[in-house]
Amino acid sequence: MSADCQKTTCRAIPTRRVTINDAAHLPHDYSTTPGGTLFSTTPGGTRIIYDRKFLLDCRSSPVARTPPRCLPNIPGVTSPPAAPAPEQILNNNCSAHADKSAGEDAQFEMDI
Amino acid sequence: MNQFDHLKDDDSGDHEDPVTNREEKSDTDNSSVNNNNNNGRRKTVSPGVGEHPLQYNYTFWYSRRTPSRPANTQSYEQNIRQIGTVASVEQFWKFYSHLVRPGDLTGHSDFHLFKEGIKPMWEDEANKNGGKWIIRLRKGLASRFWENIILAMLGEQFMVGEEICGVVVSIRFQEDILSIWNKTANDQVTTSRIRDTLRRVLNLPPNTIMEYKTHNDSLKDNSSFRNTKITL
Repeated sequence: MSADCQKTTCRAIPTRRVTINDAAHLPHDYSTTPGGTLFSTTPGGTRIIYDRKFLLDCRSSPVARTPPRCLPNIPGVTSPPAAPAPEQILNNNCSAHADKSAGEDAQFEMDI
Repeated sequence: MNQFDHLKDDDSGDHEDPVTNREEKSDTDNSSVNNNNNNGRRKTVSPGVGEHPLQYNYTFWYSRRTPSRPANTQSYEQNIRQIGTVASVEQFWKFYSHLVRPGDLTGHSDFHLFKEGIKPMWEDEANKNGGKWIIRLRKGLASRFWENIILAMLGEQFMVGEEICGVVVSIRFQEDILSIWNKTANDQVTTSRIRDTLRRVLNLPPNTIMEYKTHNDSLKDNSSFRNTKITL
């Protein structure tokens, strides 16, 4: 057993530097590091950890609400942010799809 | 079948973004082979100023089985399309908010969110020794569970080092299926930690059946969800 223990090698804990340019980028609580949460015991060192609530809060930021560039058009899958053209409303199925995508806030709200 | 026809008709009208219109001209659903040329290309995506970086970059994929083709590796690869790659929490929401909810997808289709560079295919280098946990969902639950499993993965909640490859939601006829893929199928510490984390982050009832299947077994029986190992 002791022989096995001696084989263990030392290794520096990997770290990552996050530059802060604005006080607004500082985390709100002391247990959080800029750019994520510090978990010193994670295998492989520090990882960028976010809890569900934090991720959901980020959703309302203006950047997150901007439509992505280069979104491929896949009918029925990627939905345009614009309201449907008037003739499309005649088609019930189409307008149902568009309505869901247009209300960004409502789209994935936890309902249960 | 009618649903697919409807989607093709839908192709013509309501998309006003010039960028998407350009691509739309050559893109009916069955001709995505030619449009797949961005699948191999890799642009470096990085977090914007003030955005919250993710531990890994992730790529959204979408696939749908075309009824006319046999389900083999080649047709699967031709039917899977990259949607986009994200490097920050904000970039993730951009894409996610502009995709339909998985519960509103039609037909035999899947959303995949995988680490950048890993194709959602059994044969990929990162997957070939791996496997996946499967959770079968009754209709109506897919959208909520998909969001929760994604948020757990992006937020590094699984605590299994580099082991997670990606997650998939599969819309099927009578049920929807959630899967999470990991690199090393025979690493029991990892697979049980993933299972336990899933139970927690998805808030699964204690009697939920969880199934595991190695990709090697999937290759052998050419099936994603049959002949799984079941644990309670």
